[in-house]
Amino acid sequence: MNPNMQRARRRRLVCAIAFLAIGAALAGGRAVAADGAAAGVRSVDQDVQVLKKQLVDLNRDLFKLEEELLYPASTQVAVFLSVDVGTFFALDSVTLKVDDKEVANYLYTDREVQALHRGGVQKLFLGNLKAGSHEIVAFFTGKGPNDRDYRRGATLKFDKAVGAKYVELRISDREASLQPEFVVRQWE
Amino acid sequence: MLAAALAGALVYPLIAHGTPAVGAAAPDFVLKDLAGHNLRLSEYRGDVVVLSFWASWCAPCRDALSQLNAMALVQDGSTPVVLSVNIEGDAARAASVAESLQLKFPTLVDARQSVGRQYDVEHLPLTLLVDRDGVVRGVWSKQPAQTSELSRQIKELESK
Repeated sequence: MNPNMQRARRRRLVCAIAFLAIGAALAGGRAVAADGAAAGVRSVDQDVQVLKKQLVDLNRDLFKLEEELLYPASTQVAVFLSVDVGTFFALDSVTLKVDDKEVANYLYTDREVQALHRGGVQKLFLGNLKAGSHEIVAFFTGKGPNDRDYRRGATLKFDKAVGAKYVELRISDREASLQPEFVVRQWE
Repeated sequence: MLAAALAGALVYPLIAHGTPAVGAAAPDFVLKDLAGHNLRLSEYRGDVVVLSFWASWCAPCRDALSQLNAMALVQDGSTPVVLSVNIEGDAARAASVAESLQLKFPTLVDARQSVGRQYDVEHLPLTLLVDRDGVVRGVWSKQPAQTSELSRQIKELESK
């Protein structure tokens, strides 16, 4: 299932629950009205704020639940991307292949690159893999030293056991050669 | 009844397919402009955005782009963000048209035609007006949007 479909499904779920919550709030509102002004100290605005907070919490819980269901810990593989310094390489896009199948192709905006430079870590891919041998190949495209077009690949072969696997793609600077360095490593 | 109406209003835009309808969220995308910068629609949250889908072989599309260009030139300060999306995926052709029309706004190239599919572009030109929250507030298909109507809606959205 692609991420857009998952997001759409989650949104539908949240909407359905939002509808139920609004229905409950309306029913609750009627009950409060029936009790009259004696109990009616809280403003409608406060009720709406509480409802909004509940929805946000519910959305977060659903998101976590969805990830746990779609990507069980036994088969989960997550690929993250980080940038360390990165003065020799201006990131434009990353294409990720798992077992020779393209699973992600991400174009980075200036803001996203800035966020990565400030220490942000991006979850580039989340999927499932069976236990066994696998190969991850990442292609980095951008501008290298002297503003030249630059495209490099990095590969990681790994054996996946039962349990989640976390992989990091790291772009850093190799000061000695004044070139960028692309590393794929596993998180223990 | 009220609950059913609310549920319908909430859920319908999310399950409907095709070009996003008024009230639906504009699908996010990221595309390269002619200068090679990547632009993401969701990064314009907070701005009113006009999305214009076009192709070089489509004559009415040129009219639509010219109109938007004129609007961009006339308005000041609160000018909406205009993003034109060339669905042919041919950057050279897109650049040629953009240059001939002297477009003042970014021209994005849908190299994989993925955004065209996402927005289900069946007829050109296709113009969408997106509010500050990323919700579609106007759709004009097959013909350029009427400038007066578009301007009125933009002002209304910007005043909110």
